[in-house]
Amino acid sequence: MGLTRRRFLQWAGATGIGAVVFNGCRVPDHEIQVQSPVRLPEDLVTGRDNYYATVAQGPASSEGLLIRVMEGRAKKVEGNPDYPMNQGKHGLRAEALLQAVYHPDRIKTPLRRVAKGGPFRRIGWPEAIGELAKILGDADASRVVLATAPIRGVLADVTQRFADAYGARLVGFDPIDQTVLRAAIKRVFGQDALPDFDIARTGYLLSFGSDFLSTWLDPTHFARGYGEFRQGEGERGYLVQVDSRFSPTAAAADQWVYVTPGSEGLLAMSMIQVIVSEGLGDRSAADALTGGGGASALAAFAPEAVAARIFGGGADGPGRIRQMATEFAGNDHGQSLAIGGGSAGAYANGSFNLTAIYALNHLVGAVNPPNGGGLVFNPASEAARVSAAPLREWKQIVNDMRSGKVDVLMVRDANIDYGLPSSLDVREALGAVNTIVSFSSFLDETTALADLILPGSTPLEEWGTDLPDPGPGYTTVAFQQPAINRFGDTLSFGDALLQTGRELGLGDALPWDTMRDAVRETARTLHETGRGSVTQPTFEEFWRRALERGGWWDMDARAGAASAPPQLPTAPASPELAGDEQNYPFFLVPYEAHGIGAGQFAHLPWVQSAPDPITTVAWATWVDVNPTTARELDLKQDDIVIVGSPTGHVIRAAVYVNPATPPRVVSVPFGGGHEHSTGVAAKRGANVLGILEPTEDTETGALAWAGTRVRLTKTRDRAGLPKLEGKELAVQLKDQEIIQVQHVRR
Amino acid sequence: MATQAKPSTHGAGDRDTPKWEMVVDLDRCTGCQACVIACQAENNIPINEESAFHEARVIQWIRIERYWEGEFPDVKARFLPLLCQQCDNAPCESVCPVYATYHNNEGLNVQVYNRCVGTRYCGNNCPYHARLFNYWEPTWPEDLRNQLNPDVTVRTRGVMEKCTFCIQRIRRATRGGEAVADGDLQPACAQACPTSALVFGNANDAGARVSKLKNDKRRFRVMEELGTDPSVTYLKQVDTDG
Repeated sequence: MGLTRRRFLQWAGATGIGAVVFNGCRVPDHEIQVQSPVRLPEDLVTGRDNYYATVAQGPASSEGLLIRVMEGRAKKVEGNPDYPMNQGKHGLRAEALLQAVYHPDRIKTPLRRVAKGGPFRRIGWPEAIGELAKILGDADASRVVLATAPIRGVLADVTQRFADAYGARLVGFDPIDQTVLRAAIKRVFGQDALPDFDIARTGYLLSFGSDFLSTWLDPTHFARGYGEFRQGEGERGYLVQVDSRFSPTAAAADQWVYVTPGSEGLLAMSMIQVIVSEGLGDRSAADALTGGGGASALAAFAPEAVAARIFGGGADGPGRIRQMATEFAGNDHGQSLAIGGGSAGAYANGSFNLTAIYALNHLVGAVNPPNGGGLVFNPASEAARVSAAPLREWKQIVNDMRSGKVDVLMVRDANIDYGLPSSLDVREALGAVNTIVSFSSFLDETTALADLILPGSTPLEEWGTDLPDPGPGYTTVAFQQPAINRFGDTLSFGDALLQTGRELGLGDALPWDTMRDAVRETARTLHETGRGSVTQPTFEEFWRRALERGGWWDMDARAGAASAPPQLPTAPASPELAGDEQNYPFFLVPYEAHGIGAGQFAHLPWVQSAPDPITTVAWATWVDVNPTTARELDLKQDDIVIVGSPTGHVIRAAVYVNPATPPRVVSVPFGGGHEHSTGVAAKRGANVLGILEPTEDTETGALAWAGTRVRLTKTRDRAGLPKLEGKELAVQLKDQEIIQVQHVRR
Repeated sequence: MATQAKPSTHGAGDRDTPKWEMVVDLDRCTGCQACVIACQAENNIPINEESAFHEARVIQWIRIERYWEGEFPDVKARFLPLLCQQCDNAPCESVCPVYATYHNNEGLNVQVYNRCVGTRYCGNNCPYHARLFNYWEPTWPEDLRNQLNPDVTVRTRGVMEKCTFCIQRIRRATRGGEAVADGDLQPACAQACPTSALVFGNANDAGARVSKLKNDKRRFRVMEELGTDPSVTYLKQVDTDG
């Protein structure tokens, strides 16, 4: 076949098109590898970064951190791998410390009110300190109250010294305090320090009300242990969560056991009765617990006598209690451990509950067990600590304020106007105080009433130390150092006290110029011991190394055995809920919000925007309602309801129809409903703390924050809840599970 | 629906070249959101305002999905951390008209922001909803801009974005050409994860933890039946019955 002009053109066209077609089917290498027009910052890697070790101190948490700093600005928070509590891990609140530093609504300069009730005027620090010294100098020290969030370490020491030397009444405030837990630990084990829980090596973990994977005490520390506790199907720990609410910890548990609110201690006592009567546990501990009386001393708690009060009748309650007791006392899973807290200690019978729960540990050898996996006592410490005072004490202080017995109130992150029940009418009482001074970095309800604001610095800008409580089982001192210069004209609370103390002539009691000096003195004491994680020949070398590592700890400095004989509770077993069942048919089981807690973290955008693990709701307050209950009340998702308590106070919030909420329970997270706050938190959600009946734990006087009944009233309003899941609940589809599950037999 | 994992056949490349993969142990995950916020901080992800939740425009490179099973009292809530699966056979890559997304030789599904013209074809094609589109210009209050990570581009309006396995950290760790010990290099999510549910590493290193865990008998990959060949392996949540 000859090559004609026509054929040549056909062939040339086909190959040309083919070339185009084939070339178009693949990505040209040069497009991918060479011709990216601008190299992205991810490829370039600019600048030089520095890391500074420090610590974030919460009311009961302690996270060692490394702060990444570039060009004088803090860029990232990372966990300090060396620090015994979190060992390189960190939670979302620690991450958000960056936003506290650079928050747009941060108070960046001292402010003084021009006249009572008038606007604020900016002033300088010398004037602010002088003003405070004058206020305190003119006041009768016995009529001055200094209120602070719980603090530990050097700052607690400085604060205590200042209060003692000046003569002020020092009191701690935390809306959700640990008074009942501390009292129970003291009573059952004779320990002043909270114990550590060796979750990693526990085989059978029985948790009553303590949401330890979300908000209870030190969740990052416990979650680290929990990660080790879960080892696939092999040496896998078994977790039972006894709770009247379906918390993130209940979601993680192998078994969630719903009990009637306030009956946690009754269940623990009934389990003790079974263990003792059937001779399952440590017999000598059983004798000690019952005073030699044996099972007969516990007859009132036999499963048949109490099961209906715990489980509300119905199913085989007594059998269930026996099964739980048998499993707990057996060793099929390894070492057993019982822990309790949170809502279990937040009733009028909170002390009864927690004492009974922790007493279980004596029966199964869970107190400092030789192979780990139980309670680990922490060594006692002489160091100062300011713990939150119970409601009983705060009621007295509020009464003193109302009756004009308090002339000056100084507050540091103690937002009592928001955090105490509304029925105490704290705002009216604060109106009777002559002068209110706030050291807060952010506006809150109490700070909004202040006459003078001396804005504190944030944790990343301060010197300090932390003695974690609970600690890791041995003496630990974390060092807090400024990772960056102060952003704004602020001063740490400790430095403000030291400067004011000098103005007042209290120098003998406060012998340091700055907080840095005070921290160095603590370091010098540690250096002189010549032991622990950092030992250096000279103090300066020790100082540098300890700051680099984020602290000093001595793994040989451990606590001894229990110093108190085992005890059982004597307080009433009934939770004595406020409100009659007919008018207030629902148990209100409120809870610390996973992110914003009880409101302390509500000003931080990342924390507000972190979806709640269970409902996926962010930026809002909601009411968890059982689906059947919702149908009975004609409530649908997003309907606004009024939650009313016997106090006469109400909140309005949208309904989340929660498949895991028990029928007679409604739950509302704390932390919302700020009237005065940053733009991030103000006028958002509702403050459920406000509607609580101010009932107390009968023994300690702590707020029984889960001890209020409520009623729900439907409104005609609806408000779409901001949540990550869609408008319909996200459920696993039968036979098409997005999350595969491996079922193993126990 | 998820199926049993099979060994990857794509993107393994040269055994000397790293193949970055992740294993997520669902038995350890507590849904705590530490990974989500760590990722926000590391990767300059805009603050998800309340309106973003209402409009289903939340930008999270890793998100925790929660799935209900049953109703009180027999109820479970299961958590699934979901991020870009860095698929070796990625459906997003083949539909991009401007090659803004491609597969690199380390097994990463890479997004080139300055090529992206915002067709959102890739987002449509991603079965994991891992790709997120910037419908608005991201904004931060002026002071909060001090926190932004200089190693990471702030994406503009009209650009698609997604998890990169913290490629900026990979670049920093490997820029000198020296080998990176297993565990020394972690994306922000895995670094923060309190329970160590997220494990990251080089799957071409037989001794790496990720290599061992990805062959655990609890393994599965999400929606693997679609043929995406994900680089993220999940370990099943264990339920104890009886």
